[in-house]
Amino acid sequence: MSDQSTQSSILEVKSVRKTYKLGRVKVPVLHGVDLTVHHKEWITILGASGSGKSTLMHLIGGLDRPDRYPEDPASIVYGDRVITSLGSKALDRYRSTEVGFVFQFYHLLPELDVLGNVCIGAMIRHGRLGYVSNRKSVESRAKELLERFGLSERIKHRPAELSGGERQRVAIARALINEPAMLLADEPTGNLDLKTGESILEVLAELQQDSGLTMVMVTHDERIAARADRVIRLVDGRVEEQSMSQSV
Amino acid sequence: MIVYTRSVYQALLTKKYLTSKLMPILAMLAVMLSVATILITWSVMGGFLKTLVNSGRSLIGDVTVSWPNVGFAHYDELIAMLEEDELVEGATPIIETFGLIQLPDDRIELITIKGIDVQSYNRVTNYEDTIWWKPIDEPTAKDKDASDVRLEPDFTQAMEMFRSNAMTLTRRNPESGITEQAGVLGVEVTGLNVRTHDGIYDPRSFGFRALPDGGVERVPGFMPAGGSVGLTVLSLDSTGKPVDPVTRTIPIANEFQSGIYEIDTSTIFVPLDVMQEMLRLDEARKVEVVENPFATEIDPETGNRRPKRSEVIGIDPARVTTVLVKAKDGANLQQVRDRVYAIYQLFEDKHKGEVPSSFSMDNQVRTWEEMNATMINAVKKETGLVLFIFGIVSFTSVFLVLAIFWSMVSEKTKDIGILRALGASTPGVAWLWIRYGTAIGLIGATVGTIVGIAVVRNINGIHDWLGETFNLVIWDPRTYYFIEIPHEVEIPKAIIVFVVGVLTCVLGSLIPAFRSARMDPVKALRFE
Repeated sequence: MSDQSTQSSILEVKSVRKTYKLGRVKVPVLHGVDLTVHHKEWITILGASGSGKSTLMHLIGGLDRPDRYPEDPASIVYGDRVITSLGSKALDRYRSTEVGFVFQFYHLLPELDVLGNVCIGAMIRHGRLGYVSNRKSVESRAKELLERFGLSERIKHRPAELSGGERQRVAIARALINEPAMLLADEPTGNLDLKTGESILEVLAELQQDSGLTMVMVTHDERIAARADRVIRLVDGRVEEQSMSQSV
Repeated sequence: MIVYTRSVYQALLTKKYLTSKLMPILAMLAVMLSVATILITWSVMGGFLKTLVNSGRSLIGDVTVSWPNVGFAHYDELIAMLEEDELVEGATPIIETFGLIQLPDDRIELITIKGIDVQSYNRVTNYEDTIWWKPIDEPTAKDKDASDVRLEPDFTQAMEMFRSNAMTLTRRNPESGITEQAGVLGVEVTGLNVRTHDGIYDPRSFGFRALPDGGVERVPGFMPAGGSVGLTVLSLDSTGKPVDPVTRTIPIANEFQSGIYEIDTSTIFVPLDVMQEMLRLDEARKVEVVENPFATEIDPETGNRRPKRSEVIGIDPARVTTVLVKAKDGANLQQVRDRVYAIYQLFEDKHKGEVPSSFSMDNQVRTWEEMNATMINAVKKETGLVLFIFGIVSFTSVFLVLAIFWSMVSEKTKDIGILRALGASTPGVAWLWIRYGTAIGLIGATVGTIVGIAVVRNINGIHDWLGETFNLVIWDPRTYYFIEIPHEVEIPKAIIVFVVGVLTCVLGSLIPAFRSARMDPVKALRFE
C-alpha cells in the first residue's frame, strides 16, 4: 500500500456524466464524477448495485465514452493523455497497453486453454509479426504469472475445467500480460466464495505491493473496500465521500 | 500509433471455432454441397455438349463446300487442289439429298440420303467407327453381361463380312451370287433393332408388315443379312429442277450409329455413283437440240436421207452437292475455312461459268461448328439455363452462411466484448469473422471441388451402383442415346466454381462481421 501524498496522479476524472437509454427512457447513471488516482495507489470504488461504479470503470478503461456537455466538458486524463478525446484506434491501443481488466465473471474465452487465454492480450497488442517475434518472451511471462498464481499445472486446461478461483487468477494473469500500469477490477471476488475471494484479494494485494501497480477496484463489499489505500463511495452516480481506508 | 487489424489471435480463434462447433461444419457442408452440385452439373452438361458435338462432327468433316440440289462439277479437281494445301488432310465428294425410303414393312419415311465415295469419305470422317455391325473384342461400358451379339464367336465371321460390306458399300446377292452396290442405314431407321438398357442393340430376326385384311406378314428383320429398302428421289434436269421420281432397291450392307439420334433415325449412305445416276448428276453428253422437227440429214453409213439427229457438242461432267474437308491436326478451323474458300476462288477462276461463283460460295463454305450451330447453341443455352437455376439455388448458401454466422456472432457476443476490452480494434474483430468465413469457404469449396471431381470421374460407376442397390436408373441409354453419362471436368471450370464457392462464404460472413464490429463492447460484456 502506498502513501498518496508522495505520489503524482496517474488518472484524473472530471465532471464525468453518463446517461443510458432504455428504449425512449433516458436513465442517468453518473452525475458529474470527479476523481483522482495516484501512481501505485489502490483505490476502491464502493457503492450499491446501480450506483454507477461499473460504468465509471468502463469509462476509465476506455470501453465507453462519457456524455458531452459543452458548458461543463467531461474529461478523463490518463498520464498526459486525454482519454475522452482519443480516437477509436488510440483508445484500442490504450486498452491494450495501459490498462488491464478483471471482471466479476472472469470472461475467459472458452475455446482457448489457460495459456491461450493469458497470451491473447499480447497477441492483440503485438500484431501478427510482432507476436511471432515476441512469442517466446510472451509465453515465458505468461508461464511465470501462472506459476506465481499456482496454475503452472493447468496451462493446457480449458476454463470449463477450472474452479472459480482458478479462472479468476487466469483472468488476472491475462490482465497483467502486457504489463499495464493500471489494473481495473470489477467486483473480482463477487462470484467467489469467501475463502476463494480472500485468496484472490491476497493475490491482488501482493501484486500491487510488489510491482507498484495502480489498481482501481469496484466493489459493494465494505470489508473488501477496507483493504484499499483509499475508498471512494459512489451514491446515485455521485462521489459522496473519499476516505482513507481504515487499514492505512 | 499502431493498431493491428490482422493478428495471431484471429488465426487462433478461427482454428478453435472451426474445430469446436457444429455450426461451422454445417456451413462448410452447405458450401461443399453447392460447389459439388454446380461442378457436377457443369461437367455433365459440358461433357454432354462435347459428346454431342463430336458425334455430330464425326460424319461431316471440318469444313464443307456445298452447292445444294444442282451441285457443282469438276469436284475431283477441287479436291486435288485442296489436298495439296498444307492445312488440309483430305477431302471427299458427297451428294446430300432428301428422298423417300420404303422399309421392309412397307412403311414410307422421309430420309436423308448421302451418296459417298466410301474410301475417301472414311479418310475425312469417322465413318468406319460409326459402323455398328462388326466384331468387337470387349463389351461396351454398360454391357455387364456381355450379351452383345457382336461379341459372339459364332458370329465373328458374319460380323467381319458386314464390316467389309460397309467399307465397300456392296453386298453379295445370295441367290444370284452377284455383288451388288448397297447402302448403310442408320441403326434406328427401321425400328427393327431394339436398344436395351445396356446400351446395345438386340436385332430382331423378323418384322411384321400390316395387311389390308387386318393380318400381318413376316418380313426380314436383320437388315445386313438380306434386307433391302426402296429409295425414291426426284431426278434433276441440267438446271437443277426436279423432273421425274426415280426409285431403286438398295440392299443393306450394314447399319451405323453416329451418336446423334436425329441422324441415326433418318440417314442412309449409298455409293456416290448410285446417287449421281439417280439424280442425273452423273457425266452426260451435251447435245445440240434440233429445233426444226422436219429437218433431215444424210446418213453417212447408208447414204440415205434421215431425220436430223441431235448433235453431241460436249460432255457435261459429273457433279456433287458437297465436298467435305478434313483439316490437319491442330489447325485453326477458321483459318482452314478461309484457306478452303481461297482455293475455291482459284478453282472458280479455272472454270469460269462452269461452277458456282466464289461470291455465291462465300456463305456455302462453312466450318462444322457453323453447320451444327443450331444444335450447339441449343445445348449451350440449355447448359446455361441449368447452371443459372443451380446458381440461384446455390446462392441460397450465401444466406445459409449468413444465418449461421449471425447466430454464431450472437453466441460469441461476450467473446467480442472480451476482445474489445483487451484492445482488439473494430476492423480486427470484423476481420476475425471474415477470416473465419474465408476459412469455412476454403475448406468447404476445396472438399466440394474434390467431391465434385471424384463424383464426375466415377459418375457411371456411382450410377451403376445406384441401379444395382436401389434399382434407381437415372441415365437410361434407351432414352438418352449415349451409352454412358457424358462428363468432362475442365480445370478452368473447377477453378471458377471453387472461387465462387469461397466468395459465397465470404459474402455470407460480411454482414455478421460488420455487426460484430459495431457491437458496443460494454453491452457485449454484459450479454447473457
